[in-house]
Amino acid sequence: MSDEQLDRLVRDADPYRRDTTDHLDGAEHALLEEIMSEPVRKTPRWRGLATAVAAAAAVTGVLVASAVIRDRPESRQAAPVVTQQAPAPGDFAAAARAAAEKNPRLLIDQPGWKVVHVYGFAEKSGTIAFEGSRGRSLEMNWYPAGEYDGYYKDRLDVSPPVATAVDGWKGARFTYSQSDFAIMLEPRDGVFAELRTGGPWTLAGFGEVVAAIKRVDVDTWLKALPPEIVTPGEESEAARKVLADVPLPPGFDVAKLQGFGANDPYQFGAAVTGRVTCAWVAELRRAKQAGDATAQQKATDALRGSHHWKTLNDMNAEGDYPEAVWEYADRAVAGNPPSEEELKQGLGCD
Amino acid sequence: MSVSPGIEHEERFRRVYRAHFDALLAYALRRVEQPPDAADVVAETFLVAWRRAGEMPGDDETRLWLYGVARRVLANHHRGGVRRARLGDRLRQRLTPAVAGDPGAEVPERLAVRAALARLGPVDREVLTLTVWEGLQPREAAIVLGVSPETVRTRLSRARARMRDLLGHDRRAAGHVLDVLTASTPEEA
Repeated sequence: MSDEQLDRLVRDADPYRRDTTDHLDGAEHALLEEIMSEPVRKTPRWRGLATAVAAAAAVTGVLVASAVIRDRPESRQAAPVVTQQAPAPGDFAAAARAAAEKNPRLLIDQPGWKVVHVYGFAEKSGTIAFEGSRGRSLEMNWYPAGEYDGYYKDRLDVSPPVATAVDGWKGARFTYSQSDFAIMLEPRDGVFAELRTGGPWTLAGFGEVVAAIKRVDVDTWLKALPPEIVTPGEESEAARKVLADVPLPPGFDVAKLQGFGANDPYQFGAAVTGRVTCAWVAELRRAKQAGDATAQQKATDALRGSHHWKTLNDMNAEGDYPEAVWEYADRAVAGNPPSEEELKQGLGCD
Repeated sequence: MSVSPGIEHEERFRRVYRAHFDALLAYALRRVEQPPDAADVVAETFLVAWRRAGEMPGDDETRLWLYGVARRVLANHHRGGVRRARLGDRLRQRLTPAVAGDPGAEVPERLAVRAALARLGPVDREVLTLTVWEGLQPREAAIVLGVSPETVRTRLSRARARMRDLLGHDRRAAGHVLDVLTASTPEEA
C-alpha cells in the first residue's frame, strides 16, 4: 500500500462532515459576540508552544506503551558517536547483554553523526536514531525475524527493491521519493532491521553514509552511545536517582529495576516510574479490598504525588509518557482505576 | 485586572474568527468523542485567542497557532479539565450527534481505520491526521506541534508504516481489524 493509498484510507475515515457548518443557524456568530464580550485580562504568559504541546498528552483514548514511550521530539543533542577508543567494558547485566548480541548494532562511522534517540536492546525490537548535518537523519528500527515477510511484501508497494548490503549484511533498498530511502536488511540472529532516511537526502549521499555504517560488537556498541544513555551496567545507579523523590510501595523490589537494555533517560525514566506507578495502583486496590484505610491513604498520597516526581516532570518537556502516568494515577485515586490491560498497554507494566 | 481592547484588536479578532472558525470546528469535531464537546473546545480556543491576541502570529501562521492552542485545550478536555463553558451553549446545541453524523451509519472500513489511528501514539496520530485531515505540510505541522519539520517527516513515515501494519497489509496478525477490513459489507456488494 503506497503512502497515497494509505492517506486516501485515512481521508475517507475523516469523521468531519463538510456540511456541518450549514446547520449552525448562526450559532457561530453568537459565540463570536459572547467571546468578544469577555474582558481581556492580563494573564501570565502562555507557556512556549513546544512545552504546551509536549504537555498535551493523552489526546485521545488508547495509549500504546511503546508508542507513548517513544513519542517525544527527537531533538536533543547527544555526544558524537565514537567507534574507537572504547574503555574496558563494564559488567553488563547478563540478560541485556545476551539480547544485545542479537541486536543489529549498526553505527555510522563518519564524522558529524550523533545518536539522538535510543530505545530497546533488551528485546528483538528497538530503535536508534542518528542525526547528521544539513537536517539529515537516519533511523534504524529492528523487529523479530518472523515479521520480515510481511514487512517486505508491504515495502514492495513502495517501490521495486534494489539489492544492496550494509557492512556485508544483505538487504534491499526501497525508494519512497527522490529524497527518501529505506533499506530493509534480511533476518539475522532472529531480527531484521530497517534503515530509513529523514530530511533532504540524495541517493548518492545515502550511498555514502550507508557505506560508512559498521556492524560492531556489544562492547563497542555500548561505549559508542552518548554518555546520558543508561546502559545495563548503569541501571542500578540510574534507578536510584529516579527514585530519589519517589515513595515505594510495600514490598517493592528495587532490584528488579534492571534488564531494560540500553535506553536514553526518557525511556529509562519511563520504565522505572511506570513500574512504581503500577505497583502503587495495585497496592491501592489491595488496600481498598482489605479495608486498610491507612494503606489506602498512603497509596492515594503516593499516586497524587506522582505529579511532583522530578523524573516525570523532567520527561514532560520531551514527551507524553508522564501524562499517561498521571492520567492513570488520577483515575485510580478518583475510584476509576485503570484495568491491568490498560496499565500494560499504557505504561508497559507486566 | 482587565484592559479595554481597542477597535483594532476587535477588528483583527473578528477577521481571525471568521477566517478560521470552520477549520477549528473541524479540528475539534475530529478529535472529540461527543460532537457537542467540540463547542467547548472551539469556544475555549478562541477565548484564548481573544485574550492573547498579542501573541497570535499573523498571516499563514494564525491557523497553525490556533491549532496549537486547540491541542492544549483538547488535552485538558480529555483530562476532564475543561468545564462546561459558559460560552458556546448555542453552538453546542447545534452540534448534536444527529447533525454531526450518526456513527452507527459508518462503514466498517472507516471504523477500522479509526481504530488503527487510535492505536498510534498520540503525536504520531496527530502528525498523520494534521497531514491528511487538515492538509498541513510537514513545516506547518511542525509549528503546530512545536517540533522540527524533520521530526514530523520521521513521525509521518513511522505513522504510515504502523498504520499499514495495523490494517493488515503486511500479513501480520492484525486481529479484528483485518477481519473487519476483509469482511464483505453491503456497501461493497
